[in-house]
Amino acid sequence: MPRLLSRRSFLITGAVLSGTVAVAATAGIGYLASVDIDGPDGFVDGDRAVLNAFVAIYTDGTVSVFVPKTEMGQGIHTGIAMLVAEELGIPFDNRISVEHPTEVLPVYGGWASQLGIRPEEASGPLHWLGRRALGAASIVSTGASSSTYELWTSLRQAGAAARHMLVGAAAAEMGVAPTELTTPGDGSVVHEATGTSLTYGHLALAAATIPPPESPELKPASDWQLIGRSQPRVDIPAKVRGLPVFGMDVIQPQMLHASIRQAPVTGAAVARVVNEAELREIRGIVDVVVIEDTSVAVIADSWWTAEQALWRAEIAWTPTEWDDLSGVELTQRMETALDSDEPNVVHEEGEPFPDTPDHLVEAAYSAPLVTHACMESMNATVLVRSDGTAEAWVSSQSLTSARWGVSRGAAAAGIDLDDITVNVMQNGGAFGRRTELDVVQQAAFLAALHPDRPVKLLWSREEDIGRGIYRSHARARLRAALGEDGLPIAYEARVAGQSVAQGLMGRLLPITGGGNPEGDFLTSEGLESPHYAIPNQHVGSHHVPSNIRVGLWRSNGFSHNVFFAESFFDECAHAAGTDPLEYRRRLLVDSPRLLTVLDRVAAMADWGSPLPPGRGRGIAIGGAYYSVVAQVVEVTVANDGEITVDEVSCAVDVGTVINPDQVIAQMEGSILWGLTTALMSENTVENGSIVESNFHDFQVQRLRNAPRITVEIVPSEELPGGAGETGVIPIAPALGNAIFAATGHRIRSLPLAATETIGERQTRSVLRTAYT
Amino acid sequence: MVTFTVNNAPVDLDVDQDKPLLWVLREDLGILGPKYGCGVAQCGACRVLVNGVSVPSCVTFAGDLEGAEVVTIEGLAEPDGTLSVVQQAWIDEQVPQCGFCQPGFIIAATALLASNPNPTDAEIDEEISNICRCGTYPRIRRAIHRAAAALSET
Repeated sequence: MPRLLSRRSFLITGAVLSGTVAVAATAGIGYLASVDIDGPDGFVDGDRAVLNAFVAIYTDGTVSVFVPKTEMGQGIHTGIAMLVAEELGIPFDNRISVEHPTEVLPVYGGWASQLGIRPEEASGPLHWLGRRALGAASIVSTGASSSTYELWTSLRQAGAAARHMLVGAAAAEMGVAPTELTTPGDGSVVHEATGTSLTYGHLALAAATIPPPESPELKPASDWQLIGRSQPRVDIPAKVRGLPVFGMDVIQPQMLHASIRQAPVTGAAVARVVNEAELREIRGIVDVVVIEDTSVAVIADSWWTAEQALWRAEIAWTPTEWDDLSGVELTQRMETALDSDEPNVVHEEGEPFPDTPDHLVEAAYSAPLVTHACMESMNATVLVRSDGTAEAWVSSQSLTSARWGVSRGAAAAGIDLDDITVNVMQNGGAFGRRTELDVVQQAAFLAALHPDRPVKLLWSREEDIGRGIYRSHARARLRAALGEDGLPIAYEARVAGQSVAQGLMGRLLPITGGGNPEGDFLTSEGLESPHYAIPNQHVGSHHVPSNIRVGLWRSNGFSHNVFFAESFFDECAHAAGTDPLEYRRRLLVDSPRLLTVLDRVAAMADWGSPLPPGRGRGIAIGGAYYSVVAQVVEVTVANDGEITVDEVSCAVDVGTVINPDQVIAQMEGSILWGLTTALMSENTVENGSIVESNFHDFQVQRLRNAPRITVEIVPSEELPGGAGETGVIPIAPALGNAIFAATGHRIRSLPLAATETIGERQTRSVLRTAYT
Repeated sequence: MVTFTVNNAPVDLDVDQDKPLLWVLREDLGILGPKYGCGVAQCGACRVLVNGVSVPSCVTFAGDLEGAEVVTIEGLAEPDGTLSVVQQAWIDEQVPQCGFCQPGFIIAATALLASNPNPTDAEIDEEISNICRCGTYPRIRRAIHRAAAALSET
């Protein structure tokens, strides 16, 4: 019996599925049978032929690929275009462009990830039902490192189907059988017997009338020309010229600009804008708006004018129960939760933890709140037209949630969801943050008040860092009973944090009230270590609510839980007197895929070679999103406590690789994202609100702090896995383990170091405790 | 009135003296390559060249621009579209991910190479303090070395 809803299912699935099950019950199987999960047949659209939901060919031979995934830096538009080009038979050059579709077709939805499976695993009546039910309420979203493994087969099929139609059109024109024709990969169809050929551009319009094949035949791997060979990114030529239009860069005729102040204490309402009359007098100010009691926006003819006006705004906020909340109290609440004997059971395996183990290792760990700080701060441009339609231009990870945001924000204008068009723009970073609809909803609220005038709402950096959304903080207690061989016989881990699933669900689908946090795997993921051969395992979680908004954040719970677990197993190794690499090798006895990656990275880093005093190496491994990553960090800790990360070695198995250079780029990016967070980044709470406000007090790495990075891809014939997040997971524990190796100090709390500023903008990381 | 040039085009603007150049470029001139990232000269996404010097345009004010020559990312390529050596190095090393911060980095690197044609890693790290959240730093270093090598051959 397949699981309809697995742990890995994307969060919103639950609510959507219950909704669609209701649809199925009332409308029946007949309704579901009518859900178009294949997308449109070919049609002509001006000077191009749209051959299916993913491929259009222009009469000049250029090709558009419709990718229902957001380009937020991860190179997905290039990778997916490669899949299409491979099967279509075109060179990978500037004749290919990528568009994010604006329509929410069932075929664009991430149904398989929502079912917690790969599309290739779908079979049987339950999946027939599930795919159509999820298609009926299609969710177009980019996250969970899922884009490549979701689209791996379907986008190659789209390319192959288009090729089949082009060959059919050529056969008709030449008066020969399709079987006599070949496609050499240069965008043409060739009849070798006569030496004649026709270009795809010439054939495009006729191809639109050819029926697509039932199940397009895909090339065997041995014939691949593009897959597995690094190709340049389709978006980079424009990016070095400063040309891409990010959400922040949208300009529309008659556009108004807005800036915003949200409640310092989330949950507080606007009592009043004390000097509203004065603000309205400022030249260029168009409006002062209280948005749904929760924030104040100023609309002006310039963002600079609006933002300056808000510097002068005196806003009175209502008191809340959270006004005295501090980081100390949040810590106490999590500790109190951990003291309780009734965790949510996440994983139970084998016998209970022994009462009096011969060799006990135990430790407590913690990680702070931390925000995304995408370089493009949150923004949205919305136009509500007096004819009852609306359009938005948004840097968003989800066409679906952005549409919900417009619909809700413009509720006063009564816009039907079907009358909303959302243009997903290039994202200046996203990291999970742009699954949210908050800024879209705010912009739509403002736009509804000013019909027929597009309103661009841009959050200042201070709003983004100080009034935003955060990865949950977490505290954990771990213990292990070691056997005579030093390996754990029993492992128990409990984590307390704030439920991200509940927060996200409550914001995306308020009707759910956020749901029950008990089943929130995002809090506990990564704390189980299923790949390690430990016979008795017990993992539990506790959910500690607060007014702070927590949300998705690159690798989510893995980002702190694997730090806890992989640091802790390092402690176990040292307690057992075993080399940390050798210890992990023994634990991975039943996990050959992980063992291969671990051995690879150890060889890369020359693990056993001696290091001078003050230097140390740490190792860690993580498996998630169908991929495996192991890393070795080499650090120098100076006598004054300064920590320099010298070098990171990274071995990765992401299954079948589409664009190797971009897998490497994702590892580099993940390592730096993880190192920044491990060493520096932290959001703290005082008086119910976040203290940090900009890059002077929310510290991130710069060039000066970035180590040398070497990445090797371990060859694999598995189906593709995710590359965007897995690389984040091992880096924090590898670094902590390296610091231990260098100093003998085990640091169990993130961030691992204090940040000292050097001059105006540079920083260095220094141990918090004295070290000589 | 303030009179200056942007990417060699003359500009004559009636604008608040204390409006940051960043917002003059983005709102008054429609030049969108320089990005708003922090507003407080921390992140470098807004960097432009003013008389050849890399400055954060978010804290450079209109009133100080009289007679200045401003060059943005859009002004680095030749009029015929040929990329600058630094831009080409950015393509060759496949540097950008999301790309939002890259105009500021390319400007900073251009200025660095003008004053120091062959910088070491340490000099690059010291001189360029821009922020990238995608983690392109290793490729940025490589691209700067590549550009330095290309410039030394010309």
